[in-house]
Amino acid sequence: MAKRPPLPLILTANALLDGDVVYFTRTGWSRDRAAAFVATDEAGGEALEASLEEAIQDGEVVEPYLIEAGQDHYRERIRLGGPTIRYGAEALNVPL
Amino acid sequence: MYRYDEFDERLVRERVAQFREQVARRIDGSLTEEEFTLLRLMNGLYLQLHAYMLRVAIPYGTLSARQLRQLALIADRYDRGYGHFTTRQNIQFNWPRLSDAPDILELLADVEMHCIQTSGNCIRNVTADHFAGVAADEIEDPRPTAELVRQWSSLHPEFSFLPRKFKIAVTGSAEDRAAIGVHDIGLRIVRNEAGETGYSVLVGGGLGRTPMIGKTIRAFLPRAELLSYLEAILRVYNLEGRRDNKYKARIKILVHELGLEAFTARVEEEFAALAGREIDVDAEEVARIAAYFAPPAYEDLPATSAAFEEAKRDPDFARFARTNLFPHKIPGYTALTISLKPIGAPPGDATSDQMRVMADLAERFSFSELRVTHVQNIVLPHVRLDDLPALWAALVEAGLADANVGLITDIISCPGMDYCKLATARSIPIAQEISKRFADADREALIGKLGIKISGCINACGHHHVGHIGILGLDKAGVENYQITLGGDPGDRTALGERLGPGIDGDQVPEAIERIVEIYLNLRDGDGEDFIDTFRRVGLDPFKVALQPKEAALAAA
Amino acid sequence: MPLLDRNGWKAEGFDVVAYADLDAALAAKGPEQKLGVLVPNTIHPRMLAQFQDRLDLISVEFPKHSDGRGFSLGRMLRQQGYDGTLRASGHILPDQFGFALHDGFDEVEIDEAQAARQPVEQWLHARALISESYQQSADGPATIFEKRRAARVARAAR
Repeated sequence: MAKRPPLPLILTANALLDGDVVYFTRTGWSRDRAAAFVATDEAGGEALEASLEEAIQDGEVVEPYLIEAGQDHYRERIRLGGPTIRYGAEALNVPL
Repeated sequence: MYRYDEFDERLVRERVAQFREQVARRIDGSLTEEEFTLLRLMNGLYLQLHAYMLRVAIPYGTLSARQLRQLALIADRYDRGYGHFTTRQNIQFNWPRLSDAPDILELLADVEMHCIQTSGNCIRNVTADHFAGVAADEIEDPRPTAELVRQWSSLHPEFSFLPRKFKIAVTGSAEDRAAIGVHDIGLRIVRNEAGETGYSVLVGGGLGRTPMIGKTIRAFLPRAELLSYLEAILRVYNLEGRRDNKYKARIKILVHELGLEAFTARVEEEFAALAGREIDVDAEEVARIAAYFAPPAYEDLPATSAAFEEAKRDPDFARFARTNLFPHKIPGYTALTISLKPIGAPPGDATSDQMRVMADLAERFSFSELRVTHVQNIVLPHVRLDDLPALWAALVEAGLADANVGLITDIISCPGMDYCKLATARSIPIAQEISKRFADADREALIGKLGIKISGCINACGHHHVGHIGILGLDKAGVENYQITLGGDPGDRTALGERLGPGIDGDQVPEAIERIVEIYLNLRDGDGEDFIDTFRRVGLDPFKVALQPKEAALAAA
Repeated sequence: MPLLDRNGWKAEGFDVVAYADLDAALAAKGPEQKLGVLVPNTIHPRMLAQFQDRLDLISVEFPKHSDGRGFSLGRMLRQQGYDGTLRASGHILPDQFGFALHDGFDEVEIDEAQAARQPVEQWLHARALISESYQQSADGPATIFEKRRAARVARAAR
């Protein structure tokens, strides 16, 4: 398994049926990032690692992985917020 | 266009049913995610950053009006009202649900389309010259060959789990518009001294982390031996291609590591062992497929059109006619490219409304046929010159009349990190900003032919290595960073771009492109010399100041 | 490990030795013994040509479902004239069963955990889902190209 990122940690994945970004809440998976369980100590980190392993095994979600809750990498920002561009019909009226 | 017979039809329908069951077995737990991933990819279904993505095959880029209308329906019913045409002449939907994918496949099968092998480590959708059947320099239409290869490679029981993906392109013309030099196998239809047609076979080209140009493994392969020869190449690759490192698994690395001579010897040995196995099809089958690509019922027309000449008095129409038309081998006809690169919009996207408009126009003006180009535009291949004024007016009304084909705003871009899970940086916003920067049509015309290609990661879906100007987006310590290359060329004089210097931030890219263009305009020979020709003449050095801070660049100039 | 063929689960009927022990096993082979060898998928099939007439089973390793070398090995062994039993052993999916049979395999060996997840009914069902093939098959059905040719001949005869 990949090295665990530093605390505080959250567990994220994509939902199986529609691919939406989801976050682990300890009782299940939520599309709301604010509902994510945040592990702030070693015990919580280990619990999340166990949940990650379980998620990989039971396959309820797709490609689960741990991220550092406080980090602000643009990949996670885009993942959370959706495409940074307008698309479809909206993209055709771009102000120049 | 090729039409399915009962066998093609049954196979595609069975594949839909099979995929439906594969989805059900993933949901019920019979298949692990790892097992299912392999199977869904073989049917073009990816998981991206925010959603699944379904890639639909458009074999050799040929599409009927009816098929395009069905794609529009799928975009509306199962996606968000648009689709993205790719650099491999396919279309991608960015927002389908896993549970809807089987129903989408059913709708595709209704119009003789599928997603077979649009991803996965198998033989991918076969691409061909988008001006097939149009270009005057064509020895033969490449599409019957491409269709034969499509059939032979579909659900191949030996070659569906290769070390890595495998891409084949075919051209029948003297000028290579299918970029055969950067494919795993490139086929060029040629004539030998006896006047027989056959294939010049290139192997081991490709982009990605280690870009390489294909090498000729057979200068003339008799056409009757095509499939068994392909089978021999694939067999050597399947057995010996590296599986220890994803980035060294393409056939180009095997050819490179063995050397062309040793690789060729192995292929010829397997080819000899395959003799008499009846892998190849007979001449009647070749003729059966070719008959579907017979020319449409052209009218006898004069080579020039008074209506067309008259319309050119409108400068906007004249501009469009200069950039978006390609000479047709039949007098009185032309091939018209519809640009999917409006200023500031995501390259290659089309809304469902636009798809329906293009389908209608294809029916009215182009024998119901369309082509998808690897430059992410749409071609109406057989348009009467007399019809151009009416067709252009309809395109203007639909917002599809951008006159920028082959120019600096006709940018190729992969989806990048706005969608793609593999991306290391965004591509589309870079394309949009460059496009806006060069929005002035007169200036764009002055700059002339210049292809910018942008990839959001080293896998090079945006073909940045062969862009006249290539842009590669990377993640540099948590910040998007863009490397610029110059001098790449996808065509006959295939060349890989050279790095201009260290990477720069995204917001500096338009300015850097601006300076590269200024340097080019100062250096070019007369008014007519294209960027790539200037680059070939002067090399990389004069362009290096483009990356320096503006003051330093001015001082150096 | 669980073993199945196109008729369902089956029992082991061979003495299977490792490839490294093949010479010794052949030297000691009894007249009634059904001898098989488990080969890695990294060998060239030609390396088995001199032994193949004395082997009742060749079992080809499939280390991962994504590793398709075994499919070429199977097809090449049949093409060089091996006519004993051919087995795919390791991680192979029900969805690949049809391919394996087309390539000349007779049976599949998987581990217990996979067999529990993917009972034999799934294998037999998955195999039957695709009935057409453009490529030649070791297990019988005419290719689409052959069917077209037959139809052409029939039309010409009318």
